[in-house]
Amino acid sequence: MRLVNRLFCLLFVFAGANAGGPTLVLLDNLAIKETHSIFFKTLQDSGYVLTFKSADDANLQLSKYGEYLFEHLIIFAPTVEEFGGALSVEAITEFIDGGGNVLIAGSSQSGDALHELASECGLEIDEEGSNVIDHMNYDVSDKGQHTTIVADPVNLIDAPVIVGSKDIPPLLYQGTGLIADSDNPLILRLLSASTSAYTYNPDQQVKEYPHGVGKNTLLIAALQARNNARVLFSGSIFFFSDEAFTSPVQKGQGGQRYEKSGNQIVAKAIAQWVFKENGVIRVSSVHHHRIGESQPPVAYTIMDDVVYSIDVERLSGNKWVPYETNDLQLEFVRIDPFVRMTMKPVGNGRYEGRFKIPDVYGVYQFKVDYKRVGLTYLYSTTQVSVRPLQHTQYERFIPSAFPYYISAFSMMGGVFLFSLVFLHYKDETKSKSE
Amino acid sequence: MQRRQNMLPNKSSPSSSSSSSSSTANAKVMFPDKRPTTKQMKSSTLTNAAGLSSLITFTVLLLAWISGFASRLFAVIRFESIIHEFDPWFNYRATAYMVQHGFYNFLNWFDERAWYPLGRIVGGTVYPGLMITSGSIHYILHSLNIPVHIRDICVFLAPIFSGLTAISTYLLTKEIWSAGAGLFAACFIAIVPGYISRSVAGSYDNEGIAIFALQITYYLWVKSVKTGSIFWASITALSYFYMVSAWGGYVFIINLIPLHVFALLVMNRFSNRLFTSYTTFYVLGLLLSMQVPFVGFQPIRTSEHMAAGGVFGLLIFVAALRYLRTVLTKSEMKYFGGVVAVTATILLLILIALTYAGVVAPWSGRFYSLWDTGYAKIHIPIIASVSEHQPTTWFSFFFDLHILVTTFPVGLWYCIKHINDERVFVILYAISAVYFAGVMVRLMLTLTPVVCMLAGVAISKLVELYLKEEDRDDRNGTESNEESEEERERSPGRALYDKAGKLRRMKHERPKGSGDGLGANLRNGVIIGMLMLLMMFTVHCTWVTSNAYSSPSIVLASYSNDGGRAILDDFREAYYWLAQNTPNDARVMSWWDYGYQIAGMANRTTLVDNNTWNNSHIALVGKAMSSNESAAYDIMTSLDVDYVLIIFGGMIGYSGDDINKFLWMVRIAEGEHPQDIRESDYFTERGEFRVDKEGSPTLLNSLMYKLSYYRFGEVKMDYRTPHGFDRTRNAEIGNKNFQLTYLEEAYTTEHWLVRVYRVKKPAEFNRPRIPISKRVITRRANSYISKKTARRRRGFIKGRPVVIKGQKPQRRTT
Repeated sequence: MRLVNRLFCLLFVFAGANAGGPTLVLLDNLAIKETHSIFFKTLQDSGYVLTFKSADDANLQLSKYGEYLFEHLIIFAPTVEEFGGALSVEAITEFIDGGGNVLIAGSSQSGDALHELASECGLEIDEEGSNVIDHMNYDVSDKGQHTTIVADPVNLIDAPVIVGSKDIPPLLYQGTGLIADSDNPLILRLLSASTSAYTYNPDQQVKEYPHGVGKNTLLIAALQARNNARVLFSGSIFFFSDEAFTSPVQKGQGGQRYEKSGNQIVAKAIAQWVFKENGVIRVSSVHHHRIGESQPPVAYTIMDDVVYSIDVERLSGNKWVPYETNDLQLEFVRIDPFVRMTMKPVGNGRYEGRFKIPDVYGVYQFKVDYKRVGLTYLYSTTQVSVRPLQHTQYERFIPSAFPYYISAFSMMGGVFLFSLVFLHYKDETKSKSE
Repeated sequence: MQRRQNMLPNKSSPSSSSSSSSSTANAKVMFPDKRPTTKQMKSSTLTNAAGLSSLITFTVLLLAWISGFASRLFAVIRFESIIHEFDPWFNYRATAYMVQHGFYNFLNWFDERAWYPLGRIVGGTVYPGLMITSGSIHYILHSLNIPVHIRDICVFLAPIFSGLTAISTYLLTKEIWSAGAGLFAACFIAIVPGYISRSVAGSYDNEGIAIFALQITYYLWVKSVKTGSIFWASITALSYFYMVSAWGGYVFIINLIPLHVFALLVMNRFSNRLFTSYTTFYVLGLLLSMQVPFVGFQPIRTSEHMAAGGVFGLLIFVAALRYLRTVLTKSEMKYFGGVVAVTATILLLILIALTYAGVVAPWSGRFYSLWDTGYAKIHIPIIASVSEHQPTTWFSFFFDLHILVTTFPVGLWYCIKHINDERVFVILYAISAVYFAGVMVRLMLTLTPVVCMLAGVAISKLVELYLKEEDRDDRNGTESNEESEEERERSPGRALYDKAGKLRRMKHERPKGSGDGLGANLRNGVIIGMLMLLMMFTVHCTWVTSNAYSSPSIVLASYSNDGGRAILDDFREAYYWLAQNTPNDARVMSWWDYGYQIAGMANRTTLVDNNTWNNSHIALVGKAMSSNESAAYDIMTSLDVDYVLIIFGGMIGYSGDDINKFLWMVRIAEGEHPQDIRESDYFTERGEFRVDKEGSPTLLNSLMYKLSYYRFGEVKMDYRTPHGFDRTRNAEIGNKNFQLTYLEEAYTTEHWLVRVYRVKKPAEFNRPRIPISKRVITRRANSYISKKTARRRRGFIKGRPVVIKGQKPQRRTT
């Protein structure tokens, strides 16, 4: 039994390199499986193995014997107060820290569990009962509370790798708003509300200042953790529903009517991104050596000319293909960077930097730290030591010292001659006097 | 010979202390032996007498060597053959590197494991004499097929060189006074604690060989001044070269010898001998000293070396003047006084101008602290923080020198009384060394040899005076004999200068010698009293050596009430743990005291070590230690620190731990980062440094405090003391239950003496969570209480089972 499980785990690990993979889907009730069938169908078509469970199922578990059973987790259970089985907010955060990807959709009735989970990821879901309200951009189908809003694709994050093209029909949204921790640099604001939106409970009179106002209100936000695990929060489960995918969009105050909303396109794009089909890059190899050599020396000497090259690859489908860009930077760091340069692409995903090592000895690092929105972090350091000149490497005869050489040697010659003459002369005088 | 047989029962007792006492006693006996020898000289053949005299000299020196060697072995016998303390670990590591990789690789050795990430050019920042000495001993032994491990050579090098020091002290004392005084001096230096403190087995440090080099250089210098031969002066320069390569204290020589020459000039004792020896020594010594990479151009560019150059110029000037005096008339000579003054002023002005222009470096901080003892404390806390740079207390004078400290002024007085060229030297040596020893504990070491020499002079004089009575009848004969003997020792030209001194001495001796007030009983009483004192000196030396100077300090011993001994081997335990459990390139941050040991024993990269060449880097580490955890984490990540090692003595009451050193870290950090670290923040309002509840909050939250006392609050050692009671500072710690955010405990040794922490990598802080206090959206606390139990593991969905769209369920009320 255990062996079988091991095998399964191994299988999952192998499957990890491929698109798709085992995915656990937690639902409020199994009806959601039907109401969001298009979204799930899209995932299944791209190779994901979906396991549907109710969020309060007593047998839920993410890992067994220290191995994760799933690579991805979808939580379409906005109202869950407590997960069942071995699952809890802690277990999910551990799953994230272990590299798992999570897609979470809330609603205006989001329960404690989601609030807690969001806070663990640097986001906050607005209070229970509050909705994103926009009196300017609501859909014609809205029932009067202006909570079914029309989100302009312009408000999508400026990163095609995550959300795809922005040239799409408007998006339908109904649900609560998210607030991001402004100190958290890892939060990506995928879709923010328009300037006229705010979040509040539509049934109540506005007494307090709303938590989210205008662009501060996030509709969809994501976190790419430092271990590249991706977590996506949407305030609206409705966003992924068949209804939202298929219904026509027209702003309540008039405007162009679109036969179909852009939800499906965006949902597919962000699902691909969050489950790491897009925007995954890695360093495949690093080389460094002196110019004219091919192997790295034990230690560089100051003022050496050095070549550093790095190969970067991108995941495309199941294969790693060269990643092409022109803004990859190299730093040569000893506490502070001594050299910082943009590397030249030399084709096939290889980038090269050539520079002269500064006239300062010490232990340096070649450092490539490439962070771009939507891409996994690329970080590579290679430690090398830079030593001063050896005693044989200094210049032997300095031109400015020639006067001293001449004086030294002429002195030596002079003393030699003088002693000869002196001795000879003495002898002569002696013999003469005698 | 009889006397030596008498010593035998003494020698049979096994302890090394008795053997050292026997040698001192032997030295005392030596002088009386000399009398019969001179008598025999008349009666029997000359060769026999000389043979006996040299046999005694040889025996005494050999015994001094053996007893000096033996009394330095306490540490090896009690513990094991191990390198001690801090600096010796670096010297050992460097020696091992040199033996393994060869001399040239050692010279070019760039150590990337020290001072990360700056690195250290070891070859260019080390006095290589020590490594070369033990390396060549290792080479010779191995070419003779004697396979001795380099560590054992390093451990036993200092004791072996103590014997050579004794011999060179004998030679020097013989040159300035007499052979008898020399033997006394040799016996003293062999066992005196002031020298043993730096030369016990395992204390593999520069001083171990440098004192020998110092004494032999002085001997050769005195010899060359006496003979005036180029040969001896060149040998002096060579010996000086060895000294330069061995110890930074060579500056003492290059200032003392010019001072001697200058004093002789002032005393109008100029001679061609002096001229020859100094000019030869200076030129050769200067060139040779510049061959040591670490010294380089310092001899011509720093103020410490300028005196030697100035005296060199002055000497040539005086010589030229003297030559001119033979040529010119007296009236013409009158102007020369003015010329001398003007030239001297001009030279001084040029020197000052060069100093301001930056060509000549001004005095370094360590030298300022020699003149002004408060200087270092204000300006260079890193120098003041070292315990051996503290001013010396009277206690330690007595502790290190015992009766010698009282007898040495007597010898000095004798030297002043009977002044001649070489005695001027020893007087200057004594006076300057006394001053410097008073300024810095460490320089006690340079005082010790001269104290031994002068005490030897005093005691030999005393013994000579009080034993002479026995052969009173042929007193006159001996006197003249002695004179002729003394005269024979000196070069013929010296008689001219010694005449005045000699006459005085005879006058001074006569009333005492002829005064019949001193009866035989009194004489015997004085001699016996003297012997008692020397005996007590021997006992004291052995006691001090055994108790104070023979601890390796990396292995501690504690004694229980029943006399049982417990070994605390925590240091090596921790270093071994580091060596075995951390990646090879792991970077360990610790206070600089432990840098050499980490590099030597654990072989890991360190940030700072005992070679305190870069104050700002040390200050950075000090800042990390004295900041709070998150500020420290920023510094530690920028320095790529993997592990932090601290020494904590609160568990066993070890007082040399990091909390006690903490204020120095703060001071050094404050020197470089005054806007972030302020020393006053670490004191209570009443200006106390305390670790209990009343301690300052800055201290209680500093990284060093937290790392020292992490989990210490849970410890209860004794039913009488509360939890978390620090036995070193006798206080209950003030900050007990805290967690570490950025570090985690990696290892704590058996007695908690060394604690190692791992610094978490930034990637381990995977997703910055929003702490509850910072959340904008406040929810009612415990709005949901878990209903899960061990048996019922079902979760809870509030919308379940039916979700009616568009209609909101009632808000829950509490």
